Amino acid sequence: MIYRITHSTTYDYRMPVTLCHNVAHLTPRDGPRQRCQETSLIVTPTPAVEEARTDYFGNPVIFFTVQEKHQQLVVKAEHATEVDPFEPPDSSQTPPWEEVRDQLASNRDGDVLDAYQYVFDSPYIRVTPALHDYALPSFAAGRPVLEAGRDLIARIHREFHYDPKATTLSTTVGEVLAGRRGVCQDFAHLAIGCLRSVGLAARYVSGYLLTRPPEGKQRLVGADASHAWLAVWCGNHHGWIDLDPTNNLIPSDEHILLGWGRDYDDVSPIKGVILGGGEHQVRVAVDVVEYQDLLLPPSIA
Amino acid sequence: MTSPPASPPARPPHWETAHGLDYAPLPGFRDAMIDANGQQRPTWQPFFHALQGLGLPELTRRWDEAKQMIRENGVTYNVYGDPRSIDRPWQLDPIPLLISSREADLLAEGLGQRARLLDAVLADLYGPQRLLRDGLIPAELIYSQTGYLRPCHGVPVPGNRFLYLYATDIGFGADGAFHVIGDRTQAPSGAGYALENRIVLSRMLPEIFRDCRVQRLAMFFRTLRDTLRNLAPRNRDNPRIVLLTPGPYNETYFEHAYLARYLGYTLAEGGDLTVRDSRVYLKLLGGLQPVDVILRRLDDDYCDPLELRGDSFLGVPGLVQAVRAGNVAVANALGSGVVETPALMAFLPAICRALFGEDLRLHSVPSWWCGDAVARDHVLANLDRLVIKPALLNRRFAPVFGDRITREQRDALAERIRARPREYVAQEQIPLTTVPVFQGDHLEPRHVVLRTYLAAKDDGFHMMPGGLTRVTASLDTLVVSMQQGGGSKDTWVVSSTPVSSFTLLSTTVKPVELSRGGSDLPSRAADNLYWLGRYAERAESMVRLLRGILVRLTEKSGIADVPELPFLLQVLTSHATAIVAAGDLGAPQPDVELYVREMIYDEERMEGLVHTLQLLHRTAGMVRDRISTDMWRVVSGLKYPESSHTLPNRLAPIERNGTVSFETLADALDDMNRLVGSLAAFGGLAMESMTRGQGWRFLDMGRRLERALHLIRLLHGTLVHVSPNEAPLLEALLEVADSSMTYRRRYLTTVQTAPVLDLLLADETNPRSIVFQLAALADDVANLPRDPSQSGRSAEQRLILGAVTSVQLADIDHLAMVTNGTRTQLEHLLNKLRRELPVLSDTITQNYLSHLQPSRHLAHGN
Repeated sequence: MIYRITHSTTYDYRMPVTLCHNVAHLTPRDGPRQRCQETSLIVTPTPAVEEARTDYFGNPVIFFTVQEKHQQLVVKAEHATEVDPFEPPDSSQTPPWEEVRDQLASNRDGDVLDAYQYVFDSPYIRVTPALHDYALPSFAAGRPVLEAGRDLIARIHREFHYDPKATTLSTTVGEVLAGRRGVCQDFAHLAIGCLRSVGLAARYVSGYLLTRPPEGKQRLVGADASHAWLAVWCGNHHGWIDLDPTNNLIPSDEHILLGWGRDYDDVSPIKGVILGGGEHQVRVAVDVVEYQDLLLPPSIA
Repeated sequence: MTSPPASPPARPPHWETAHGLDYAPLPGFRDAMIDANGQQRPTWQPFFHALQGLGLPELTRRWDEAKQMIRENGVTYNVYGDPRSIDRPWQLDPIPLLISSREADLLAEGLGQRARLLDAVLADLYGPQRLLRDGLIPAELIYSQTGYLRPCHGVPVPGNRFLYLYATDIGFGADGAFHVIGDRTQAPSGAGYALENRIVLSRMLPEIFRDCRVQRLAMFFRTLRDTLRNLAPRNRDNPRIVLLTPGPYNETYFEHAYLARYLGYTLAEGGDLTVRDSRVYLKLLGGLQPVDVILRRLDDDYCDPLELRGDSFLGVPGLVQAVRAGNVAVANALGSGVVETPALMAFLPAICRALFGEDLRLHSVPSWWCGDAVARDHVLANLDRLVIKPALLNRRFAPVFGDRITREQRDALAERIRARPREYVAQEQIPLTTVPVFQGDHLEPRHVVLRTYLAAKDDGFHMMPGGLTRVTASLDTLVVSMQQGGGSKDTWVVSSTPVSSFTLLSTTVKPVELSRGGSDLPSRAADNLYWLGRYAERAESMVRLLRGILVRLTEKSGIADVPELPFLLQVLTSHATAIVAAGDLGAPQPDVELYVREMIYDEERMEGLVHTLQLLHRTAGMVRDRISTDMWRVVSGLKYPESSHTLPNRLAPIERNGTVSFETLADALDDMNRLVGSLAAFGGLAMESMTRGQGWRFLDMGRRLERALHLIRLLHGTLVHVSPNEAPLLEALLEVADSSMTYRRRYLTTVQTAPVLDLLLADETNPRSIVFQLAALADDVANLPRDPSQSGRSAEQRLILGAVTSVQLADIDHLAMVTNGTRTQLEHLLNKLRRELPVLSDTITQNYLSHLQPSRHLAHGN
């Protein structure tokens, strides 16, 4: 499947901003099942410095500096990405979770060592006894790792309520666990925390999800949002397998990957520090379109 | 000296001298000066012999002088959590720690190897990570380590070198052997204090210092300076190097300012720096100046709020990018802190063998990282004889001594370790050697830890021949911490051969107020100097006014006797309301005395004198590196010490009702007289000891503006609404405005309104007149750095010239005319000035200090 994705972020400031430095994770990384065919990032006003590089986790990242006085900043990312479908392995055929855990702690081969760093606490996720207690029912002794992971996200999906008003970025995983509400990021952080609490490696995945309009309605431009899920390490043979607790499924070709890290902090779409500005507002519009749909005129609602 | 006993006793006896410097070492511990037989160690003999030659009275006299010097130089150490003051005098002991050059060579060799090793570890961790793959460092130690900064991975460091200034805490064990207790790799503190200690002690004991052949410190700092200069990516000939400080509230701010001055660097806070075009710039009044090298005293994660730690704005947004682009060198390299964790110590011997094929020469204190299961079991089984320390850099806690806590506390600690083992390290307690400290008339033992410093040089390191010796606050503790009341000592490496007398000090005599002339002043410093001028003048005008009021209260029996008093009180009140804007100060208080006392002594009154003096002190502290030592001395003198005889304490006995016994008004008057003297001295020093650079201009603008505002209020409060009996009022006015003498000289006879008005308002030769302040302001404004492309007068120039002209053109007789009990013309003019001067202040701020606004994070959008 090929997608064209537009992700634009607009900041409106009450007072002029004289300088802003930003780090953007808005370019899809290539993966085993995904190839980014075209990509562009257009920033208005034009940055004085714009530099693309690869971050510690292998994600493409763009640093830019706007040095002219402005009261509005628009960051518009556009890309065309091809995603292959994914046929997940039979969960019951994956190794027992304890075996995966022990291999992580002892094996120093490249891929396993790389996966091992996702076992530990990260800026947004600190493992607590409460997280461990919540995780435990999914991790019966000897249970295959992917089965345990699927069970965990099924429970989160069942027991937590999707509620964009319930949480903010400063809501901790512990508060999400107690309140049983949140959005995709919260559920991803929660599931990652649970997996780490039993010694497994789990990483945060930032990306997009194709959304379909309700039956009989035309799709709305810009109504999509960026999405977040996670991946769990299932041992040398199976490697990383994605899990989407918000939708209780294993992502295939309707999830488009941007990048991954230990948690949101490593791959947030835009981080910035501004000088001046006063109060500011931010608006985000995301549009995910399948390539064949591009031929059809979308309605502007 | 007593002769050695014929047969040495098993334990050190009470060691006595003919001159009263008695010393009894602590049984059971090794002492640095006295050996197990009660004999002085050979290294100490010449020193102690000379000290005894000096005698106790002379030692005491010199020590008092030295302490005075420490206070006057403003050597301080900020203690967190002490609300009384942000700084307290540096604690130094007059007896140095002596180390033989042989011991120093051993240390230098061992520490040099250790520094190279840690450098190699850092290069690997921020590069190929072979040490993790080979299992030489447990991967989980680095992966769980908050000090491991992923954004710094792969960031090029010049020469693959991370450490430029490296410090180690060394303990001396029972056999005198060195043990490394801690490594300081990101922004080691204390080298400046070591230098200050040296200067104090070498001046206090010059002949002993010389005779003992103490190795000098200057070469060390020259090495550091040369190394840092060579780090500059460009401008190698004359690179701009700044010392990046967290600011005046940091515990070691004194040292930052001191080192910056000594090394000839600009002291900069994060807010003084900005990143543009991936380069770091210093914000100066005249514009942005590129920075080539940053010697930082900020911890790693605080250095860049964009890429490193989101919740801090102490650093410089975009710094990591500037380093990545190779446009600025940071020493030590960002991320160096990761090897500070004591958890690493257990693995260093094996790493040293693997990387260098050498044995680790200098042993660490035996350490166990609880992230390792075997080590954890050992720690849990031996908790009562270990010291527990944090393994993660951002989860700091004070070391816990297993043998000094209760059983319950130990169980709770064990529980915490079991729950999050990776966050704990345990170290063996070493029986720290003791050293003698001076206690007024005798010596007492204290445990000692030596902090040594290494500076990078060529492909190795150069050790400071000395260091910062710290001693415990008492014998009950083994924690050596300045935060917890410990003291410090100079450290003498005594040679057997003559020493070089090279010194860097001559270069530091040059004031920072730049020889390059104009616009080299950081904007933040300009801002602080401006406010320093304002607070100093505000305090002085208040004190003069209060003195005028107190004189009248003490000399006369009541208000009826002093018709001018209500007018003066009204000026005091208008002064107060001008500062607090709102409040119930409208009418003079029924109890005049109480009101005046409160204005003088009450710390709670935001508009009162105490608070103004506190602001003055705090602001001066922020520009301590830019004002002369004498100016600082005057300001420190203003701050109320904690002793019993203090200004605020004089308020203490006051109660709003009931009888009170407090010190008399005459005492308050004494206080005011003293303060007038000090504040006048401050003003005089500002005039006489500061070069007329931009810094002085801003200080002067602050002074002039504040004095003009005060005079406007004074004239407004006394002359606008006419008093039936104006003569005593005019006298008081002249007195408070410090112009009585001038008036008498000029007019001799009776005091009349028009001449007084002329003298205080329009006389351009009277330094206490309004027009004098305005003319001085006009001169300052004309000399501010300006964009040459802008033609014509600047906004602030137009404002001030307008004000000057309106006073110059005023007709004094006209102003003195009274209509219906009011001098309307005078009121009109004063109101106009009162409106315009604050606009001038705002305009200057806008045009020269606007980029001082704080940085903020963008909100997240998804």
